Amino acid sequence: MFRVTKAPLDVPRLLRAVGDPRAGATVVFLGTTRRENAGRAVVRLEYEAYASMATAEMRRLAAAAARRWPLRKVAIVHRIGPVPVGEASVAVVVSAGHRAEAFAACHWLIDRVKEIVPIWKKEHFRGGEAWIGLQRAAAARRRAARRGRR
Amino acid sequence: MRVRLRFFAVLRERLGPGGERSVAAGTTVGALWDALVAERPELGAVRVRYAVNERYVERGHPLADRDEVAFFPPVSGGG
Repeated sequence: MFRVTKAPLDVPRLLRAVGDPRAGATVVFLGTTRRENAGRAVVRLEYEAYASMATAEMRRLAAAAARRWPLRKVAIVHRIGPVPVGEASVAVVVSAGHRAEAFAACHWLIDRVKEIVPIWKKEHFRGGEAWIGLQRAAAARRRAARRGRR
Repeated sequence: MRVRLRFFAVLRERLGPGGERSVAAGTTVGALWDALVAERPELGAVRVRYAVNERYVERGHPLADRDEVAFFPPVSGGG
């Protein structure tokens, strides 16, 4: 199952989606909205997706993970629209014969999802709002510039 | 030839969701972005990524008639 959805994430449904009698391990990663980020009091996050490309990238990542590890099934779902503090915005669920490959693939997949899948987060905090990727990119440029000056 | 433009996140806020645009045959995705920046110089500050028909491409990727061309800032999904 690979999708973006406006609905709260349905973890039991995701577990059913990766159910497989050959699986001895299922690992679930949930990313949730933190109350505080970079010293700001977060009220909610709001996600926007390029939905068709996002699901295509999720499928490509799952296929790449299945080439690296012997997996049974993978599900990746990202919520879009407003996500209140404490609720999950992303789920990566992996089933495999054994736990080592399920943990490794789940960790690899959430890292790649955050780098590659075209979804953007706008943080609404007390006193304002900000797109998150922009500051991260600007901070990376500042770090690179500082390294360059040394 | 004509291509379909899509903008996301801060670019969508500034430019709208997108639309159709005529471009000369052989135009690259980077040249199309430069043309958009020439019309709206404040866009030059945005670090942009390019996708054509739902796949990431580099600046030098040549466009074809009816391509869907997406411009967006670095992604930031996840919790």
